[in-house]
Amino acid sequence: MKRYDLIVIGAGPAGLSAAIEAAKCGMKPVVFDENAKPGGQLFKQIHKFFGSKEHRAKIRGFKIGDDLLKEAEEYGVEVVLNATVIGLYPEKEVTVKIGDEVKHFKGDAILAATGASENMVTFKGWTKPGVIGAGAAQTMMNLHHVMPGQRVLMLGTGNVGLVVSYQLLQAGCEVAALVDAAPRVGGYGVHASKVSRCGVPFYLSHTIMEAEGDEYVTGVTIAEVDDKFQFIPGTEKHFDVDTICVAVGLSPMSQLLAQAGCKMLDTPGGYIPECDEFGQTSIDGIFAAGDVSSIEEASSAMIEGRIAGVSIAAAAGYLTEEERKEQCGALESALGSLRKGMFAPENRGKILKETEEGIEISTNLLAKGYVAEDEITRYPGFVKKAGVHPVMECTQNIPCNPCQDACPKGCITIGENITSLPVVDVEKDCIGCGMCVASCSGQAIFLIDEEYEEGYASVTMPYEFLPLPEKGDTGTALDRSGKEVCLAEVVSVKSAKAFDHTNLLTIKVPKDMADKARFFQR
Amino acid sequence: MISVDDKLKEIGKYIPQPDDDMLVCRCEEVTKGEIRQAVHAGMFTIEEIRRFLRCGMGLCQGQTCGKLVKGIVARELKVSPAELEPAVSRAPMRPMEMEILGRDGGDK
Amino acid sequence: MKKAADVIIIGGGINGCAAAYYLAKRGVKDVIVLEAAKSIGHGGSSRNGGGVRQSGRDPRELPYAMYAVKHMWPTLSEELGVDVEYCQAGNLRLGKTEAHLEKLNRLAQNARNAGVDVRMIDAKEVKEINPYLSDEIIGASWCPTDGHANPMLTTLAYYKRAVELGVSFVKDAPVKAIQKVKGKARKVITADGTVFEGETMILAAGYESREIARTVGIDIPMTRYFEEALVTEMQPPMFDQMLGTADADFYGHQAKHGSFVFGSECGLEEAADMPLTDTRTSSLTMSAGCRAIMGYIPALKDAKIVRSWGGWLDMCIDEVPVISPVEEVPGLILACAFTGHGFGTAPSVGLMLSQMVVGEETVVDISALRYNRFKADR
Repeated sequence: MKRYDLIVIGAGPAGLSAAIEAAKCGMKPVVFDENAKPGGQLFKQIHKFFGSKEHRAKIRGFKIGDDLLKEAEEYGVEVVLNATVIGLYPEKEVTVKIGDEVKHFKGDAILAATGASENMVTFKGWTKPGVIGAGAAQTMMNLHHVMPGQRVLMLGTGNVGLVVSYQLLQAGCEVAALVDAAPRVGGYGVHASKVSRCGVPFYLSHTIMEAEGDEYVTGVTIAEVDDKFQFIPGTEKHFDVDTICVAVGLSPMSQLLAQAGCKMLDTPGGYIPECDEFGQTSIDGIFAAGDVSSIEEASSAMIEGRIAGVSIAAAAGYLTEEERKEQCGALESALGSLRKGMFAPENRGKILKETEEGIEISTNLLAKGYVAEDEITRYPGFVKKAGVHPVMECTQNIPCNPCQDACPKGCITIGENITSLPVVDVEKDCIGCGMCVASCSGQAIFLIDEEYEEGYASVTMPYEFLPLPEKGDTGTALDRSGKEVCLAEVVSVKSAKAFDHTNLLTIKVPKDMADKARFFQR
Repeated sequence: MISVDDKLKEIGKYIPQPDDDMLVCRCEEVTKGEIRQAVHAGMFTIEEIRRFLRCGMGLCQGQTCGKLVKGIVARELKVSPAELEPAVSRAPMRPMEMEILGRDGGDK
Repeated sequence: MKKAADVIIIGGGINGCAAAYYLAKRGVKDVIVLEAAKSIGHGGSSRNGGGVRQSGRDPRELPYAMYAVKHMWPTLSEELGVDVEYCQAGNLRLGKTEAHLEKLNRLAQNARNAGVDVRMIDAKEVKEINPYLSDEIIGASWCPTDGHANPMLTTLAYYKRAVELGVSFVKDAPVKAIQKVKGKARKVITADGTVFEGETMILAAGYESREIARTVGIDIPMTRYFEEALVTEMQPPMFDQMLGTADADFYGHQAKHGSFVFGSECGLEEAADMPLTDTRTSSLTMSAGCRAIMGYIPALKDAKIVRSWGGWLDMCIDEVPVISPVEEVPGLILACAFTGHGFGTAPSVGLMLSQMVVGEETVVDISALRYNRFKADR
């Protein structure tokens, strides 16, 4: 039987990262993936990632996927596609379907990086065609360029629900509403805000009563729920939609590890293997990394994969203990910084009242998806000064800091702590270059010039919709809630390679609308 | 130790719910009401429920309904879903044609 | 929790559940069943091919196997209120070589001597009975009165009905020892030290019965053996017979919902040494099973396997079970060592166990299965 140094199951961000690290140390790993293309979910991620430089922040997911594949090739990682691992056995043997036969391989070490699958919820009519997972919608749009529907209702306001809602809008679908049974938006506030200002209403403490339609979905009724998640009669709301997208969390695909006999833990986050700090399961030589060991962002999965790769190489004698410690140390600190802030694992389920800076949380953001006008002024990114200057509507402590390096003039500071809210230094002169606007993965930075023209202000916003408006176009300005507030004229549209497809759209609005206008609608 | 008598007394009689006719396992067409009634007949584990009703035994092997069934059973038993052991993971991890499975070099 | 009863049954498998049901049915409702696992029927009761057969059985088991087929299985679903998917459509044991046919003929002759209708049929008749079988088959033995049922449902149906009739079940209660009080089996002690007391106890705990019986000085010469099975996705209805082969390389049938369930081996089973709690399948058996099955039923080559599973058999040294009261330990009745063919006989075994408890003569004579039959043979 062919024996490998390391067999990696899953060519997603965790698996590839692990194989790359192991190969760097001189191992000859093989990566099996059941899909026709490597990269796992990375190639569906068309948005910019959060984090800092070491986490590849402000780079779009699919680009990170490309880079990972290049790196894998460079280090000679063997990636076998259309290779379905159908069994994992305690002696570190795998059975793999390749082509039309099953092959047996053994590894001195095995890493399961099999990712996660989407959860479902039941409601009347949930089995009708037209009810799909948010991940499926992403696959249709971003990989196959097919619109999942014309008019979509999204259930779930976690990051997946928010990000996919925005992508649905980008693809040209109408998003009728974002609905969540929880009383608060689950994902990042910046993701919610960018959907909200496009005019998508949020219904928190609401869930789906029924998907309507004879043969397929033609509508949906939602209703408010009480604190015991029971429907409140009389609160029903109907939407004509042809698609219902469900984004209610992910479950680790840990079945192979369970089959091998790894000790498993049943946690609120799913059925996961018990792992040590290096990702080793209860079976010596069988490791797990990425979503299969706990659901997190792809950025964390990549670091976890690298830690596992380094640890496996060390265990196999390709690294000394000192080398392992040094490499793992750096990776662990990078991973640690990603797990900080309001959305850190230890804060899950907690209701936070204040930011790390002691500023009261925006309750409107959690209840409706956008920061209210009277709330935004209390954050350090919101400043007023003469001339053009950034206004940063970043109100939650999340691990992300590309904006501070983006400004050539040093107007923006986050500091040592990656989760701190950005502070705008009004003493420094903004040159209006817009680098900060394009660098913000949360699309939360605007350039405001209140004295653009007599009686008019200009608002520069990140814009990722096609077709791109042109200078001179007129339309309507929408506020943070997506409500039309005034007429607006496009005065500038900037696209640059450095902006990486985040265009800078500048509109002219009446002066008193400078703090209100946050989106442009033709 | 689980006394079936005590548990059945504790959870009380099966009371129909308006959404009992909702499909939970689409592969094997098992409804919420069937699952709830099975609990009241003494099927307290996912293993017993699966064997009694076949939910999670179809083509997707419970990938979709596993968590849903667990939630319904847990609620009926008045315990946390974490107290219920999930179904055993069994090879093959993906449904596989006999002809392909049989071609593993084992007979050469 | 109730801890004392007229009857304590150790083992919530099909024989324990059936015994509990037949006791309750006749009015003996003060019964406690102790199951070691969290699930009823966790062991061999749910891990078998579902055969309800008379052919191929040892003459010592035939009387009660035939009794169950004649008098119990046909009405069991109705009696228990659960469709146990009993299907009496015959058993084909297939042969591809003259040597196979010789072996099958010998078995058929034995069966006929014991009064079971088993006859040899040629390739043409095989095809008439089952058109899906391979052209390589040159003949088979045919027992038209054999059949199959759903073992998981049957076990749980006995359990469900026994619960309804008032029997007390305790799960997750592994028994460590039986204790005599004043010369009679009286106490049953579980792993956590809980003591149950009963007038009579039935020990029907599969291979684990051996350790438990030893605590009152009884040793049943049995070994354990691991077997695996595989299950296909649902197929359109194809055939109803139970299939086996002269080579015994696979056996199985199509279940009511459409899946095929096949038992198979890879040849390395004798060496399996995992603990009894471990029922993980090997990396080789599923493939070996597929090859064996396709060799006889080529039409199934595109059927997808959805899962495989394994279980332990309690193999008696002389390949028939021990079903008997133990005189040396008054109050103890043994029902174990079923050697991989205890499912189809469970209704009659359960009935006879209930008869033993009340001191009634059993419906058929099973004195050949006494616990003290084992003697040195050289």
